[in-house]
Amino acid sequence: MATEERKQEILENLKNAVIEYDEDTAREWAQIALDEGLKANDAIFDGLVTGMEEVGRLFEEEEYFVPELLMCADALYAGLDILRPHVEQLDLGVRGSVVIGTVEGDVHDIGKNIVKMMFDVAGFTVYDLGRDVPLDKFVEEQLRTDSDLVCLSAMMTTTMSGMEKVIHDLKEKNPDCIIMIGGAPASQDIADKWGADGYAADASNALKDAIDMVSSLKRLKQEAEAE
Amino acid sequence: MTAKERVASVFAGEKTDRPACFSGLGNVTTAGLEKLGYKFAEVHLDSRQMAEAAVSTPKLFGFDCAVVPFDLCVEAEAIGCEINTYAHTEDLFYPTIKEKVIHSEDEMDLSMPADVAEKGRVPLVCEAIGLAKEELKGEVPVGSYVLGPFTLAGQIMELNDLLKLSFKKPDKVEALLDKLADVIIAVLKRYEKAGIDYLTVREMGATSDVLSPRIFKKLILPNLKKIFAEITVPSVNHICGKTNPIVGAMVEAGADAISVDQRNEIIKTREELGPDALVFGNYDPFNVLVSGTPELVEQTINKCLDDGVSAVWPGCDIWPTVPPRNFEAMMDAVRNYAR
Repeated sequence: MATEERKQEILENLKNAVIEYDEDTAREWAQIALDEGLKANDAIFDGLVTGMEEVGRLFEEEEYFVPELLMCADALYAGLDILRPHVEQLDLGVRGSVVIGTVEGDVHDIGKNIVKMMFDVAGFTVYDLGRDVPLDKFVEEQLRTDSDLVCLSAMMTTTMSGMEKVIHDLKEKNPDCIIMIGGAPASQDIADKWGADGYAADASNALKDAIDMVSSLKRLKQEAEAE
Repeated sequence: MTAKERVASVFAGEKTDRPACFSGLGNVTTAGLEKLGYKFAEVHLDSRQMAEAAVSTPKLFGFDCAVVPFDLCVEAEAIGCEINTYAHTEDLFYPTIKEKVIHSEDEMDLSMPADVAEKGRVPLVCEAIGLAKEELKGEVPVGSYVLGPFTLAGQIMELNDLLKLSFKKPDKVEALLDKLADVIIAVLKRYEKAGIDYLTVREMGATSDVLSPRIFKKLILPNLKKIFAEITVPSVNHICGKTNPIVGAMVEAGADAISVDQRNEIIKTREELGPDALVFGNYDPFNVLVSGTPELVEQTINKCLDDGVSAVWPGCDIWPTVPPRNFEAMMDAVRNYAR
């Protein structure tokens, strides 16, 4: 078992690997974390996610832009792939599943992938439909998987209007399903008008919202452990 | 003044009878398509339909231009990408790229077709330009657009890879952009020969929401300069999103005018660029023009002009389902605007 000091060192290295978008280092320290007896959950939330929180801050301060963000995400996934098989299921009361995709007519999926990453980190079961997804497919997949959440993304104004119909169909068939919409043209107004439960306007907001979500999970985890 | 004289005066920096209200981006409307009895998915594939659909906007609303084409796939298709026009549906979908031609970093040295300006729909768009000009009898200008090299690169390869490589392997990206700039120049030369009155270069992939101003100046600007140096008609450099940090560089690229969207603070831009720079913008073509009320449209147009735009111009393509009364409210606002 690693000493507290060593544990901090390992977490620090995981965090920095994400910030410095270094996939190899993230992989290496994720393995070290397991070898030296750290809990996979701690390595994810207190290492990789802490790094991603810092990345979110750098993005907001316009220190980092989308290319850096994508590279940081790659580093996070490199570590996550090693740690995930060892995760003990935490009962946080929020574990769930999500159907996610970019609507038909839109082939942009960067924002969607960033949001998906945070769901992956949070331990959600993610059904990723990809991009340019026919609208009926969202409804079909939600019914098939009984997912708690459906996330619809569109980057272009010109594809967003399709969302209205999906939201309507989903709510009609399954009123409990939570629907989030995202993309540059999305707004609170549109979310309200179309009956969506939440929205994120762009990749940076999506990232911020996703990080907030995982940060709350992290708090829940700490509280659960404190009890 | 005819619309053509008005727009020519704007580009010449001269006074106009009223503010010009036009666009260099797509502006076909459902109202126009319905009147013609055309399906949106088909107007991209037929020069006569394309021309008539484009001309319907100035005819119905007194808009100061007609613009072809309506989609963003023309150059990528000429390079060899396959497109999807969503012919299966009656819903409005803009064509997208179905199959990219570059699948990995190794394929970035792909050679471009020698006669690229004769490939895909480039000749069809040229025909449409000619037909639109005939129809408008020199009273309304006909514009067209090409993509910028970075945005085009994002059409022919995975944007994800392109963005990461512009950081990790800038040399490779630079070489690709240089080749794509040549493709774009060949295409725009063909449009010029077909008789366009002005041309917009759309480099929205390189917005400061995505790329740092540092990478913009290093990777994007040199190729934009190369392209604008070749354009002989009045030219516009369009980038959407957060553009305040790069308006100086946008002007430096050498276009006659820059086009920015609703996220640009025009007052700041005007302060930075001075009174003579041509800045087109910057109303939100969806949240204002399509889903707003006529009152909101009027307020927004007045604000654009108060803030100091050189011409009223949308932040992006006009979404076709714009309610006619909103379009009319916009035209009324420019007619009634007192300078």
